[in-house]
Amino acid sequence: MAEISLDKKAAWLRRVIFEMLSKAEQGHPGSVLSLVEIMVTLFYGGIFRYKAGNPEDPGRDRVIISKGHAAMILYPIFADIGFLDKDELGLFGTPEGILRIFSNTSIPGIDATSGSLGHGLGIGAGYAMAAKYDGQPSRVFVVLSEGEMYEGSTWESALFASHRELDNLVVILDRNRNIILGDTEESLRLEPIEEKWQSFGFDVVSVDGHSFSELEEAFENIDNLNGGPVAIVANTVKGKGIALMEDDASWHYWQGMDTATREMIQSQLQAVEEAIQ
Amino acid sequence: MNKESFQRDIFIEEIFQAARIDRNIFFISADFGAPALDDFRAQLPEQFVHSGISEQHMIDMAAGLTLSGKKVYVYAMAPFITLRCLEQTKTSLALMDLPVTILAVGVGLGYADAGPTHYNTEDIACMRSIVGLEVWSPCDEASTRMMAKKTILEPALRVIRMERHALPAVYRSEEDMGQGGYTKIQNGSGICVLSCGHMLHRALEAADRCTDVNPSVVDVFRIKPLKQELVDELSTYQGVVTVEEQCLSGGFGSAILEGMADVGLQRPVRRLGLPERYFFENGGRDYLLDNFGLAVSDIAEAISDLAINAAK
Repeated sequence: MAEISLDKKAAWLRRVIFEMLSKAEQGHPGSVLSLVEIMVTLFYGGIFRYKAGNPEDPGRDRVIISKGHAAMILYPIFADIGFLDKDELGLFGTPEGILRIFSNTSIPGIDATSGSLGHGLGIGAGYAMAAKYDGQPSRVFVVLSEGEMYEGSTWESALFASHRELDNLVVILDRNRNIILGDTEESLRLEPIEEKWQSFGFDVVSVDGHSFSELEEAFENIDNLNGGPVAIVANTVKGKGIALMEDDASWHYWQGMDTATREMIQSQLQAVEEAIQ
Repeated sequence: MNKESFQRDIFIEEIFQAARIDRNIFFISADFGAPALDDFRAQLPEQFVHSGISEQHMIDMAAGLTLSGKKVYVYAMAPFITLRCLEQTKTSLALMDLPVTILAVGVGLGYADAGPTHYNTEDIACMRSIVGLEVWSPCDEASTRMMAKKTILEPALRVIRMERHALPAVYRSEEDMGQGGYTKIQNGSGICVLSCGHMLHRALEAADRCTDVNPSVVDVFRIKPLKQELVDELSTYQGVVTVEEQCLSGGFGSAILEGMADVGLQRPVRRLGLPERYFFENGGRDYLLDNFGLAVSDIAEAISDLAINAAK
């Protein structure tokens, strides 16, 4: 039953994300859509600990979208769990609204301003260390793009998190293989990725980032590993769920589309959602 | 004063005493030490963090700690905690308006003869360009102690530009400094000499030599935000001399000029600073300053010249 409900949530999230992007005609669909199953599992699979309607709770878990261009993935979820006013979703990217392509801490529930790559893991380490010091149960989930493995500061923070045994810190690495100019392995090789994180002292789990069962298993085990920080390498497809955008680096940013295409995608996403009981 | 009273020890001692009472105070070092820090590390090990020689990580981590309610001090050699992690200071501290204190030790040519990798001759321009970041420069023991207490009582995003070596006393006590962001050390007329930190001492010495001019000398210990009253006061002078151990682009003198321009105050201004170049020469800090335009005689000459020209 849980799997069905997550499916439904994922379909809902994709539809709402597409509506927001296409209405605002700005944003990063490829990078947002690759995260859908990951974030649905985190928030609706009973992993992320929070009190509905209370983003200020100091004991809640933290989530940092370090790949800040995908931060909007949180907005529909935050509206759904009562962190945000639902009306804000319709104002995404407008002067009247508070929701932006890149998020910042003035938005309720957002734990770190992001947009510039390579900062999230360090900020997350600070959160994780403070939580331990204060005896708070908070875990800190940091969503990194594989592109952030090119930033040296990421490795500075990885070294630190491991030395400090920040077992309440979880990296989710969105491995969709695409950076703006193409495949990472052709542009500048990142593999072997798992071994790199392991060598920095992380417990590494590699999963299909669109499989609820694999994601659930990985998340459920984060508290039972070897006492250090965790890295979940989520193998994903950029633009997942919208055929036009899948695995196409050009849809890193919104490309624009004619009304007919937009309506067709909209109705397809709606049909997928309605077909799930 | 005790010649061994280094600014870093004075500052850390104040923070240490505060941290003994307030367990939310955290002190992070990027592998940079001080005798006073040894006491802090030994007695408050949970509140001391060694970030590794990782200034970028140090600033990002400071953001996470501050977002969790901690009062954070980050500490390293000046060139590395200012320019090397400028992006982190902007993105992780300034963008989130986080009240972190950045302790930068060894400003200007303080690390002579280490060379330009270890000199901080562009930091005022860079740091004051960060939105909302305050820039402070102590010139002696009392001013250092005042600034340490300020950071404890009124946390804000600040850089404290500390000297590597101990400096002679300018102030008898913290109370002598007032709360205005600047202090008139020598009360004269006609020409006003503005400086801070190490160069304030040279400016004072130069002013002493200009007995015929009798200039005022002002310690602008808070470079940003510049106190409006200071700019207003400059209108009572015929000319202004600024003295800094920085390359001139966007530095201390530029800040003064901007303050004047913003209120339409027009006076002849002479900006004294380092030439636009890097310094690989040996010889020590005094040798470099004496040979690159910041000798006491250079400053005195500028004051006298300006006094003559301004009077024309």
